[in-house]
Amino acid sequence: MLTIVGGLLGLALLAGFIGSLSGLGGGVFIVPGLVLLGHMPMQVAIGASLISVVATSAGASVAFVRDGWTNLRVAMILECATVTGALAGAYLAGVIRPPVLELLFAAMMLQSAYFSVTRQSDDPVPAGDKWCSRLRLDGEIINPDGTRSHYGVIRLPWGAGLMVLAGLMSGLLGVGAGALKVAAMDYLMRIPLKVSSATSNFMIGVTAGAGALVFLARGDISTAVAAPVALGVTAGALAGSRVLPYANARALRLLFVVILLLIAAEMAWRALDGI
Amino acid sequence: MASRDVEDEILRKWTPLILRSLLIVSAVILITGLVMMAVSTPNYYVERFHAAQSGRSHVQQEWAQMGRGAISGDAHSLLMIGLLVLTLVPLGRVAFTLILFVKQGDRVFALATGYVLAALILGVMLGRIG
Repeated sequence: MLTIVGGLLGLALLAGFIGSLSGLGGGVFIVPGLVLLGHMPMQVAIGASLISVVATSAGASVAFVRDGWTNLRVAMILECATVTGALAGAYLAGVIRPPVLELLFAAMMLQSAYFSVTRQSDDPVPAGDKWCSRLRLDGEIINPDGTRSHYGVIRLPWGAGLMVLAGLMSGLLGVGAGALKVAAMDYLMRIPLKVSSATSNFMIGVTAGAGALVFLARGDISTAVAAPVALGVTAGALAGSRVLPYANARALRLLFVVILLLIAAEMAWRALDGI
Repeated sequence: MASRDVEDEILRKWTPLILRSLLIVSAVILITGLVMMAVSTPNYYVERFHAAQSGRSHVQQEWAQMGRGAISGDAHSLLMIGLLVLTLVPLGRVAFTLILFVKQGDRVFALATGYVLAALILGVMLGRIG
């Protein structure tokens, strides 16, 4: 037993560490890790990953909310869309054939890699559009010199549409879908990057929690796998966040994107072989 | 109490305190469960691990049965409780946000947050049905 638990802890620790350093999240590494190295079926890997996404986002988001970076109004209005997608995704994950899930996972990894290497816009607008202003979604950020800058929010319906997709991906594939969430808020809704990241982090835990609750209540979470994975990923993410300030984040991100592409190719190959 | 004070009290004081406590409690339960399993039923763990590898990981337990099992020292029930406590963290976060919007008298956002909370609870029911 100790060998298995040690192996799972090590794998999860590494996934959490890389996920934290690269900003891609632990889910994109833990699912292929469990499938390719642990010889787990996709559904088991997805269930364990959802639990680990909940664990890793929990610690970070508490700090973001406390420090005032999270736009709670944007988070809750968009969460209506993601949680709906996540419930549908978690339900579908139980009925879709594993090779199809593996192929979808490989496609999701490509999307994640794309958003990681493209430059974020971080070009806020001074005032929101009609809908967003009516909902008072605009906010303020504190600049390094202590002054406050106002930012507007635009294109809520488009953002909400992408959030349904992000939620579907989360529930179906066991990932946080943070890259897509940040891209939707930053590119489309023109929310400042740091606010987008903090708001996305708050949302990731809730979205993954919706999926995890479906899996847990259905009895589809293997405690033997999920327990050590949750502990390992949390410890790995914590270690990653401590090392991050001293690391060359850009170079590391590019390195991990290459690794991600190689894993995506392996997953796609495996999936096509099984179809 | 002014709106900003309510936000400070709920978001900056109680939410981090309770959510951090839930995280620590779940980690302690999970570690205890794994240690108990290693000591008392290591073969059961190995059996469950191989069952997961072959896609037979499905074990549906009633909540009450899980609670009774955890109290009587059943490691599997303890691990399930630990994972359940962990998934309560986002649920708690949404509940605190709902309290904040209700206290601020913001009906639209209280309704939106209520929908998210209801969807999370629906997740449990969906899992039980399907």
